[in-house]
Amino acid sequence: MEKLSTDVLVIGGGATGAGVAWDAALRGLDVVLVERGDLGTGTSGRFHGLLHSGGRYAVKDPSAADECARENLIVRHIAPDAIEDTGGFFVTTPFDDPAYADRFALGCRNTGVPCEEIEPAQALREEPRLNPRVSRAFRVPDASIDVWRLVWALARGAQERGARVLPYHEAVAVHRDGDEIKGARVRNSRTGDELDVEARITVSASGAWAGKIAGLAGIEGVQVRPGRGIMIAMNHRLVNTVVNRCQMPTDGDIIVPIRTVCVVGTTDVDTEDPDDHSVIQDEVDAMLAYGERLVPGFKDARALRVWTGVRPLFEDTKGNGDGGSSRDVTRAHALLDHMDRDGVSGFFTITGGKLTTYRLMAQDTVDAVCRQLGDPRPCTTATERLPGSHDGEYIRVEDRLGRRERHLRDDQLICECELIPRRRIEDTIRQRGTTDLDDVRRLLRLGMGPCQGGFCIYRAAGILHGHDGIDTSQANRALVDYVLERWKGVWPILYGDQLRQARLDDWIFQGVLDIEHLP
Amino acid sequence: MSPTLHYDAVVLGAGVAGLTAAARLAEGGARVCVLAKGVGSTHLAPGTIGVLGYDPERVEKPADALPGFIAAHPDHPYALFGADAVAPALEWFADRVEAGPQPGYRYTGGLERNHFLPTAVGALRPSALVPETMAAGDTNAPVCVVGLPVLRDFYASLCAGNLRRGGIEARAVEIEVEVGRVEANALGLARRFDDPAFRAAFAGRLALLLRPGERVAMPAILGLRDPHGAWSDIQRRLGGPVFEVPTLPPSVPGIRVYNALVAALRAAGGRLIVGAEALGVEREGERVTAVRAHTSGHDTLFSARWVVLATGGFASGAITLGSDWQPHETIVGLALRGMPAPGEPRFAGDYFGPQPMSNVGVAVDSGLLAEGTENVFVAGAALPGAVPWREGSGEGIALASGHCVAQSVREREGAAAAA
Repeated sequence: MEKLSTDVLVIGGGATGAGVAWDAALRGLDVVLVERGDLGTGTSGRFHGLLHSGGRYAVKDPSAADECARENLIVRHIAPDAIEDTGGFFVTTPFDDPAYADRFALGCRNTGVPCEEIEPAQALREEPRLNPRVSRAFRVPDASIDVWRLVWALARGAQERGARVLPYHEAVAVHRDGDEIKGARVRNSRTGDELDVEARITVSASGAWAGKIAGLAGIEGVQVRPGRGIMIAMNHRLVNTVVNRCQMPTDGDIIVPIRTVCVVGTTDVDTEDPDDHSVIQDEVDAMLAYGERLVPGFKDARALRVWTGVRPLFEDTKGNGDGGSSRDVTRAHALLDHMDRDGVSGFFTITGGKLTTYRLMAQDTVDAVCRQLGDPRPCTTATERLPGSHDGEYIRVEDRLGRRERHLRDDQLICECELIPRRRIEDTIRQRGTTDLDDVRRLLRLGMGPCQGGFCIYRAAGILHGHDGIDTSQANRALVDYVLERWKGVWPILYGDQLRQARLDDWIFQGVLDIEHLP
Repeated sequence: MSPTLHYDAVVLGAGVAGLTAAARLAEGGARVCVLAKGVGSTHLAPGTIGVLGYDPERVEKPADALPGFIAAHPDHPYALFGADAVAPALEWFADRVEAGPQPGYRYTGGLERNHFLPTAVGALRPSALVPETMAAGDTNAPVCVVGLPVLRDFYASLCAGNLRRGGIEARAVEIEVEVGRVEANALGLARRFDDPAFRAAFAGRLALLLRPGERVAMPAILGLRDPHGAWSDIQRRLGGPVFEVPTLPPSVPGIRVYNALVAALRAAGGRLIVGAEALGVEREGERVTAVRAHTSGHDTLFSARWVVLATGGFASGAITLGSDWQPHETIVGLALRGMPAPGEPRFAGDYFGPQPMSNVGVAVDSGLLAEGTENVFVAGAALPGAVPWREGSGEGIALASGHCVAQSVREREGAAAAA
C-alpha cells in the first residue's frame, strides 16, 4: 500500500478544511488534504452563497454577528476573486413585525455590523422588483461568494506551498496508537486503491460528518446535528442586492443574487443523516411563496434548480446540549482538542460555524495544532491574498460577457447559458484530470443556466472524449451521469417555462441522441 | 374592433400535426389558414418518422407491434385512431415530400420494419420512415464518421466510438472548413453544402482520407435547398454510400420536413401565417366561432367553422403547468386529461422512469374532437397518453392524428351537407 507522511492531515475538503490546509501551508507545515468527494461538495457547496454582513445575527446572536462583521471585511480583502459585492438590504415587509426594525438597528450598532437606514423609496429605486409595501430598509455589506472559487483558490494556494490535495479520497480508518492519533487510511473512491497517510496531527474538518470521523478514531459523543435547509435558484437576477426580511431569522427570508441566478433560502429541519438530500414538495411550495413576499411575481420566474444542504450544528454531549430546535443551536464554531477532551493527542475536530467564518475557524484550528506541536507560528491568512485575488477585483456579473466578447472570433461557445468557451472546458478537464462533468461544472458553472445542460452536456462529453486517454465508455458515463445529476435538482420544481425547457431537453437526450440506449 | 378573416378551418400550430391536418383539409377543398406563434417542433426533431421505436424494448417491426401496443395502452393516441390510420398517413407524407420543393428528396421505409440509425452519440435509434440521405446508416458495414470542428453540435469521435462498442467497425476523421467564423450551426453549414463548389472542395479533401468499402457518416448538413442534389453529388464524388446523422438543433432534416409540408399546404391553396400567436377564441355555446390572434400591429379575428388545435404539449408552451401545479391549455381553455391525482407524484426522481405528468393532454373523443366543444379538433403532441420522446412515436402520432382530424372534419361537413 502506498504511504504518505506529513505534518498535518486534514480530513474534509469544504471551506473549513481547505482553509485549514491553506493556513497550515502558509505557516510552513506540510499538509495533506483528503475529501471523500470533490472539494466543496458537502455543506460548503450546498448553500445559498451568502457572505454574511452579520446582520442576520445582530439581534439573536450578537457574538456571531460581531464575528461575521469582522470576517466579512477580511474575506473581502483576501478573496475578492470569489466575491460579488452585491451589498445587502434588510427590509420590513407587511409580513414582518414592524417593531423588529429598531431592535435590528440597535443590534447592528452594538455588534459592529455596518448598517445604514435608507428610505424605502431608495431601496425600491435600487431594487425595483422589491415588494413596494416595504416600510423600513437598511443597507448592510452582505455579498455573494462563489464557494467553489474560494475553496479551489485555498487548495491551489496550499498546493503551491507543497500541500497535497486529494479529492475523491475518503477516510476509511483513523490510525490510533493508544492515546495517540497517527493519521488515517483513505480510499480513492474512483480506483478503490487505499493509501495510508501518517501524520503528526490529524484535523477532522468534516462538518456535519464530524461525529463519524471521531467515531473512526474511537472517540464517542461528538454529536453534530445536521440542520437541513432547502434552496431554490431562479433563472434571473430578480434582485442584484442580497435581500433579507427584517425579522428574526426564519424560513425563506433571504434572496441572494449570485452569478447568473438568485437563490431563495432556506429552511431548517432536523435530520438524522447529513447525506439526506431529499426535497419535500411542501417546502418547495413554501419557499416559492416566501420568495413572493420579498419580490412579487417571484413564482412566475423560472425555478431552475432546488437543492438542500445541511448545517453542522454542534452539540457536545460531554457539555450541555441545549435541546432546542436546530435553528436555536449556536452558529458559533467548535474546536475540539481531543487531548483536552478525551486525552487523545494528535487529533482535532473543527465543526459548526458558517462559511463566512471559515478563515477564523481555520486560524483557531491551526493555532491549536501549532501549540500541540510545540511550534507556535503566526497566522497570516487575514492579510495574504488567495491565488487569483491579487488584483483585488471583485467578480462582476458582466465579466463573463466581457471576456466572451474578446474571444468571439477565436473560441467556440459551448455553454451558451453560462458563456463558457471551449478552451476553458478543455483546460479544466486537463488540469483536473477528471472525466466527471460535475467537477467541471463547479469550476465553470457548466450546465448551471436555464437549459440545465440541454445543449452543453453532449458538447462537453464530445470534447471530453477527444482528450488523451479518455475512452468512449468514460465519455458515455460522463454524459449520462451528468444528465441524471442535473435531473435530481430539476424534477421537484418543474412548472412554467422550466417544464417547457425540461421537455426540450428530453427531446434532445431521449429523442435526438437516445442516450438511454447507448451501447 | 379587430378585422376578421373568414376560413373554413383554422389550424393552430405549424408542426407536423398542424401542417398535415391543414394540408389534408386544403387538399379536400377547404379554405384553410394555419396560425403559428413560430416555427414548430420540426426544427428541433431529427427529421426521421418514428411510429413505434420502444415498447419499452426496441421494436423491430412497428406494423406487427402496434396492435399489441394499442391493446396494452388504451389511453394512447394510437388507440383513438387505430393502427390502420398510420400507414396511409405515412404514405401521404412520403408522397408530399417527393412532390415537394426539394427536387428528388425522398423518404424510404415504412411500417414493416424500423431502421436503426446512428444518433450523434452513436446509439442506434429506431425510425420507420427515414430520409434517403440517412438510410445507409442502417447497415453494419464499416463506417468513417466525419466531423467538422467548426460544428459544435456533432462529435465524430464519440459517435464512432459508440458504433464500435455496438460492433460496427467505425473510425472518425475531421475536416476543417473555412466559414469565416469559429463556430457554425447545422443550418449555416447546410446552406454551404447547397453550393456545388463548396461540396467539391469538401469531397476532394475527404476522399483522400477514406478507405475502400467504408460508408461515410456526416452530420445532417448536406444541403437545405437541394438536399438530394447535395447528397448524391457527395456520394458520387466519394464513390460510396454517404448518410446523414442528426445533430443538436437546429435540425436541417427537420427543416426540410417543414419546407415540404408547407409546400404541400400552399399547393393545395392553404395559407400559413407564422408569427401569429393565437391569444384566445370567440364562442357561441360549445362552438368556437373565431380565433383571436396577434398579428403585426393589431389583433385579428380568424373566423372558422372548424378549429384544429395542433399546438403541442408542455414543450411548446401550449399546455402549461402553473406554480400552483395546475395544468392549462392556454388558447381555448380545453379540458385536460391524464393529470396525476392530487398528492400523487408529478415527476419522478428516476430520469428514465415513468414521469406521470408526461401523460397530460387535451381530452378528446375517438374522432379527436375536444371534450366540451362542437368543432375543436386536436392533433399531435397536445393529445394525452403518449410519451413520444421515449416511445419514438412522435411523428407517427402527428401524421396519423393530422389525417384523422381532417377525416373527422370532412365527415361532419358531409353530414351537414346531407342534412
